[in-house]
Amino acid sequence: MKMTNIYEGSYQWIMFGRDKNKPDNIIDTNQYMVKTATRCLLIDPGGVELFAPMLAAVLHYVPVDQITDLFASHQDPDIISSLGLWDQALPEAKLHASELWEGFIKHFGCDSIEYVPIGDNGGSINLDGIELQIIPAHYMHSSANFNIYDPQAKILMSGDIGAALEAPGSPVFVDNFDLHVEKMRFFHQRWMPSNQAKRVWIDRVRKLDIDILAPQHGRMFQGDDVNRFLDWFESLQVGIAV
Amino acid sequence: MNVGQTKSQFVAVASITAELSAVMDVAKEISLAAANAKAIAFRAGDKAKGFQPITDFINELAKETIELVTAINEHALLLYQMTVNNHRTSNVYTQLKLVEAQSKNAAYSSSLDLSLQNSQNKMSECKRDYKLNITQLLDQLAEVMHPARAARVIAANSRIEASQAGEYLQSLQAVAESVDNAAQVIHDNVTRCRSSLSIVQLTD
Ligand SMILES: [Fe+2]
Ligand SMILES: [Fe+2]
Repeated sequence: MKMTNIYEGSYQWIMFGRDKNKPDNIIDTNQYMVKTATRCLLIDPGGVELFAPMLAAVLHYVPVDQITDLFASHQDPDIISSLGLWDQALPEAKLHASELWEGFIKHFGCDSIEYVPIGDNGGSINLDGIELQIIPAHYMHSSANFNIYDPQAKILMSGDIGAALEAPGSPVFVDNFDLHVEKMRFFHQRWMPSNQAKRVWIDRVRKLDIDILAPQHGRMFQGDDVNRFLDWFESLQVGIAV
Repeated sequence: MNVGQTKSQFVAVASITAELSAVMDVAKEISLAAANAKAIAFRAGDKAKGFQPITDFINELAKETIELVTAINEHALLLYQMTVNNHRTSNVYTQLKLVEAQSKNAAYSSSLDLSLQNSQNKMSECKRDYKLNITQLLDQLAEVMHPARAARVIAANSRIEASQAGEYLQSLQAVAESVDNAAQVIHDNVTRCRSSLSIVQLTD
């Protein structure tokens, strides 16, 4: 598992991905971690196949008992099917995920982890005084869907928005936006169902100060590429691939 | 525990429920046959005097079987849940062992020890409960054999009583026949349940 530090201040953001041992038949995913003084949040911790390499990677940064929070942007298996294993590995942890998906996500196994339901308007997660915002991104692509925004690190973890289908081992940041577009087009047209929801999301996100837009698949966007992505996405017709 | 074993556990436990629902149907048939026999015996009057208490007895046996099977079904459902838990806890342990192997050079690898220990305890506990419950279920199934066996003896007696019932001979003999068949079916189904359960008990 490749580990990339993407923010270093009084706390850290780390991106995990490009796992070399991942079976070929499952989609490659990016996991993110926010580590503060005594706590640690795993954002979209991933599928069940990824549990062992992911936890092994996290143990380079924090002990098990400091993994206190999990966040699932939506209900998909590549996001959170590992829940049943985290549930048994973490002595005391919370899962922040949509209120709407609670009865569904719990199918993955959620006995000891506390499910903290997120209402449709979003909310926040506070880690040792660091306030992370939970931004609604409904229908992008899941009907109850959230992003995580960190105003201090200026990072937006955007879930499946901005995702790209990439060759294994590709770089973690977009280096040529024009070339990158083709790796994103099908994904967005096919998985994003609503132009209206897209417009609402873009309006909301344009108001945020973003250095890094961090999706759950493919590469992160940094600096000017963030706005390039928003412009491209704005002009893209979605929900039309069938 | 390997994948094949787990699969066979799920199948064995699920198939018990299927076999038992057949037993339940047959027990209901017996109960119906008993009611039928009672009516015939009543009409036959003195000629079937010896047959009347037998019909009550048959009915009792059917009722007893239905009660036992209901209890076993509940237990089988519990055992199914335990199979799921057993599978889950073993899987968690296997995964945590993988984490242990993959995090050897990680700064906080030793923080995993507690989770590993807990997971191992849970797994052993699950396995112990599971085995205990299989033994209990086997005992319960053996109990169902008793009324079935008794029913066969009664069926034999019924045939003798029926032979003295004159024109009712045939209908009463038919009743005896159907009770005998039903008891045989119950016996066979329950035997199958027990042998598939014993296999599960041995593997693992
Ligand atoms: Fe998704
Ligand atoms: Fe995804």
